[in-house]
Amino acid sequence: MKELLNFLIKHSHWLVFIFYVFTSCYLLFHNNPYQQHVYLTSANAVSSSVYNGISNVTSYFNLRDINEDLQERNALLEMEVINLRNQVNDLRLLTADSTSIPENMSQYEFIVARVISNSISSAHNYITINRGKKDGIRPEMGIVNQNGIVGTVDVVGEHASRVISLLNNNFRLSCKVKGSDSFGSLVWDGKSPYYAMLEEMPRHVKYHRGDTIVTSGYSAVFPEGIIVGTIESDKKEVADNFISLRIKLTTDFTQLSTVRAIKSDIKAELDALIPDKETDKEGLKR
Amino acid sequence: MTRNVLQFAGLFVIMVLAQAICSKICLFNIAVPIIFIYFMVRLPINIGVNWMMTIGFFLGLTIDIFNNTQGMNALSCVILATLRRPVFRLYMPREDDIADIIPSIDTLGLGVFFRYMSTLTVIYCTLLFSIQAFTLMNLSLTIQRIIASSILSTILILGFDSLAITHREKRL
Repeated sequence: MKELLNFLIKHSHWLVFIFYVFTSCYLLFHNNPYQQHVYLTSANAVSSSVYNGISNVTSYFNLRDINEDLQERNALLEMEVINLRNQVNDLRLLTADSTSIPENMSQYEFIVARVISNSISSAHNYITINRGKKDGIRPEMGIVNQNGIVGTVDVVGEHASRVISLLNNNFRLSCKVKGSDSFGSLVWDGKSPYYAMLEEMPRHVKYHRGDTIVTSGYSAVFPEGIIVGTIESDKKEVADNFISLRIKLTTDFTQLSTVRAIKSDIKAELDALIPDKETDKEGLKR
Repeated sequence: MTRNVLQFAGLFVIMVLAQAICSKICLFNIAVPIIFIYFMVRLPINIGVNWMMTIGFFLGLTIDIFNNTQGMNALSCVILATLRRPVFRLYMPREDDIADIIPSIDTLGLGVFFRYMSTLTVIYCTLLFSIQAFTLMNLSLTIQRIIASSILSTILILGFDSLAITHREKRL
C-alpha cells in the first residue's frame, strides 16, 4: 500500500497530465453546439460584458463602409416599395370590392442586436451578440444583416447569445438559385471568409456566373428569398450526379456590426407538423 | 511570494483581455497573434510541473471560453506546460546556478530569452493549428497559419516583454 502511494506520488505529474488531457479532449470532441452549457461559451456574463466593453470602442471603426452599405440597401428597398405599392394599387382596382387584401401579411419579426465578438480565422467560427433571453432571443433563430445571411443562434445567455456563423463547418443552409427550384446546401470550406460552397446542386441545370443564390425557405429559420451570395464558378464532382458551386457571399463577415434576429410566428407550427418518431411508433401500434 | 502571486494574477487577467482583442485580428487571413502564452513563458522556472499544468489548463480554458474553441487551447496549453522545462534546459543547461528565475529579457539576456520564447511559441502554434486541422483538412493553409502566426506572436511577445522592462525601471 505504502509503495503504491509512493509510486503514485512519484508519478503524480503523469496522472495530472492524463487527467487534463482527457478533460480537454472531452471538451474538444463532444461538440454538439446546441448542447453546450452557456458558461463554457462566450455568451456568459463575464465574457459578454468584456466583449461589450471592447465593442463599445471598436464598433465605430467600420462605420463608413457600413453607412455606404445601408445607403445602397435603402435605395434598393425604396425602389422595391414603390414597385410593390404600384402593383398593390393595380391589383386593388382589378379585384372585386368584397375580397379584401390582408393588411399585415408578415409572419416574421426582427430583433435588432449588435455584434460584440466575431471570429473568421478558426474552422468553427462563432459570433456573440448583445441580446439574450431577456430580449426575446431563442435558440435556432436566424440572424441576418443588411447584406444577407449571418448565421443561427445556438446558445442563449441572459443578456448575450452565441451565434453559429455561416463560416462554420457545422453550419448548413438550404439555398436555391433565385428564380428556379433547384436547391442545395451551403457549407463553408474553411478557406476564405468571402466564399462558401453550395453543394448537392443537380447536374442537369445550367448555372451562370453571377446568378443570385437565396434561401430556400424550407425551414422556418429563414424566410424564403433572403440573399446569400452570387455564383462565382462551378466545380464538377467525380462520379456524382451533383455539382458544387463556389459562392461569393454578400455578407462581409470581416466587418459585421448590427444584425437582426428573425422571430418567426410559424416556426412553432411548422415544428409541430414534423411528427416525433416515438409518438409515431406508438400511433402505429395503436 | 504574495506579491509575486498577485503580479501573476494581474498578468493573467491582462493576458486574457489582450488575447480577447488580439483574437479579432487575422492578418492576410492567415496570421493570428497568440500573445497570452507570454504568461506561460513568464512563470517561474522552478514551479512544479503539476502546478504548471493546472495553471496552463485553466488559462487555456479561459481563452477557450472567450474564443468559443472548446478545449483546443486548454489541450495545447497543458502540453506546452509539460514541454516548457525541457525547452528551457535546452538553452540554459546549468539551471541550478539560477534557481527561482522568472524568464524575461533582463534575467536571461536577449539571445537566450528569444530562443526560449520563440521555441515555445512555435510549439504552441504548431499544436493549436494541428488540433484545428483535425476539423479542417487543409494542409497548406495549416502550415501557412503556423508559420505566419508564430512569427507575428513572437514579435508581439518580444514587444510586450520589453514594455514590462521599461515599466520596472521607471519604478526603481
